[in-house]
Amino acid sequence: AVGRVLRLCRRWGAAPRAQMLRLICTTTAVQKKNVGASGPEKYTEAFIKKQIEEFNLGKRHLANMMGEDPETFTQEDIDRAIAYLFPSGLFDKQARPMMKHPTEVFPEQRKIQWGEDGRPFHFLFYTGKQSYYSLMHETYEKFLNVLKHQDQLVAEDLPLQKEKRNLAGSRWLTKIELEEMLLEKLSDDDYSRFIQLLQKLVALPCADIEENYIQKFSKKVPVQLQKVVIEPLKYNEQGVAFSTGEGKRKTARATAIVYDNGTGKITVNGTDILHYFPVLQDREQLLFPFQFLGRIGKHDMVCTVSGGGRSAQAGAIRLASAKALRSFVTEKEMEFMRQAGLLTVDPRVKERKKPGQEGPRRKFTWKKR
Amino acid sequence: RIMPVRWSRYNPSYLEPEVKKESYQKPLEELTEEEREQMELKAVQPIKAAPPTLSSSVFSDPMISKFTNMMMKSGNKVLARSLMSQTLEAIKRKQLEKYHKAPENEKETIECNPYVIFHQALKNCQPIIGLSNITKGGKTYQVPVPLTDNRKRFLAMKWLITECRENKHRRTMMAEKLCQELLLAFNNEGPVIKRKHVLHKMAEANRAYAHFRWW
Repeated sequence: AVGRVLRLCRRWGAAPRAQMLRLICTTTAVQKKNVGASGPEKYTEAFIKKQIEEFNLGKRHLANMMGEDPETFTQEDIDRAIAYLFPSGLFDKQARPMMKHPTEVFPEQRKIQWGEDGRPFHFLFYTGKQSYYSLMHETYEKFLNVLKHQDQLVAEDLPLQKEKRNLAGSRWLTKIELEEMLLEKLSDDDYSRFIQLLQKLVALPCADIEENYIQKFSKKVPVQLQKVVIEPLKYNEQGVAFSTGEGKRKTARATAIVYDNGTGKITVNGTDILHYFPVLQDREQLLFPFQFLGRIGKHDMVCTVSGGGRSAQAGAIRLASAKALRSFVTEKEMEFMRQAGLLTVDPRVKERKKPGQEGPRRKFTWKKR
Repeated sequence: RIMPVRWSRYNPSYLEPEVKKESYQKPLEELTEEEREQMELKAVQPIKAAPPTLSSSVFSDPMISKFTNMMMKSGNKVLARSLMSQTLEAIKRKQLEKYHKAPENEKETIECNPYVIFHQALKNCQPIIGLSNITKGGKTYQVPVPLTDNRKRFLAMKWLITECRENKHRRTMMAEKLCQELLLAFNNEGPVIKRKHVLHKMAEANRAYAHFRWW
């Protein structure tokens, strides 16, 4: 689910390069609050065990009620049964009645870190962040291990392994995921130091030895290369090839039809571009895809556009023509167009005005009295 | 690392678009290892849409666009852009006048390309070191501080524009004023260069407080 997150303005650090990051588009992984690190156990093991027994009993009762086999009653069946027995029209999915295994409902929390005599178990307990520091120590140990192995290989004059790790398909754990793993609160600085150390480790040539360890901290990114279907060229009555494209920017919507074997004439809503767009910047934007591909005098274009303002209409036509040109162009050139930013829809729209303020950002004049 | 500007409608994983045609025309063999890796990474990451001020034509220059944006008032980009083109035209005219009047041996030293003059003038106006207010023990000191590239460029452009807007005769056109300022800055003369030297002298004078800086 994509949601909005406004992280509170963090205190400015000493360095002037401190940034204020406010994410707008985030995934659920970033949104969840880490309950596990909030403190020592609030519920005992015995309590959790009892909850698990009750859950299992309840599962069997539910299966009996629905007339299904209690042995093969999965979590999806439970969800369906609860949705059937307790229908709820509440908007928030998390407010509806649910029946889940206690380990999902009561997140894992840290057990008490010291024994009966008051002595802590872990040797780094008094640092305050014992799991974080022990993790850093472990990672650095692996780093030194790899260096030693490298030195051995160099001493024996063997070639260093140079198989490149594929960085494109994986990402490091986010700060929240790491906090969940360690059951301890981390600061941004700690997190970035840990990631830097991991990157240093990965950058070494013989890092393949510690591949298992590194994989604990990396996740596969589902490569969403949306394979866009390129439409084949259509032919009109004179046998001239053409293709259509649609584009939008802010509130403007445009459709463009690009003809082959043309002289570079561009018509917008029945008028020539010189009359429709008196400003040079807009005309430059219209010609941008053609100029980028080097096909300025080779195509004719007829477009219709409505809505938006002068610059938005130009941007919409640019996107429409770039999309139409995809059918005329090889896959490599299409990739170049994408990397030049011609094929992405610009998501920037006018920000809404907020109550208590004069505009989206401007506040009312501050009066002392 | 790219520093996100406060917040943006794009997901932080979106990369900046690369508009220049030359970078896509290099054949595969000439690329170094790093560039190949970067290409592979780019193939998987989503990319932002190119802004309306950016285009792959030979006439679009990022410095000129930045300067035009800084000159713009109340979002009137049309006016700012026309002023900019009038300035460049005026620079070209003046330089051509000089060129035709100059004797044969000096003709090669006169620079006629307004873009080259603009870039050189900006470079000459950029300060190397800046001052920052640091409060220590109740008193505020002006501490000399190194500046980033972006900050230097911003200061140079800002000084040029404020100089033109305030310290000139009311009746002259902005294009003329800018043209005069740019030509003076190109020859390392003029009030903007003087302001830069004054800043450098102040920084030199306050050298004693340089250790107050903690970054």
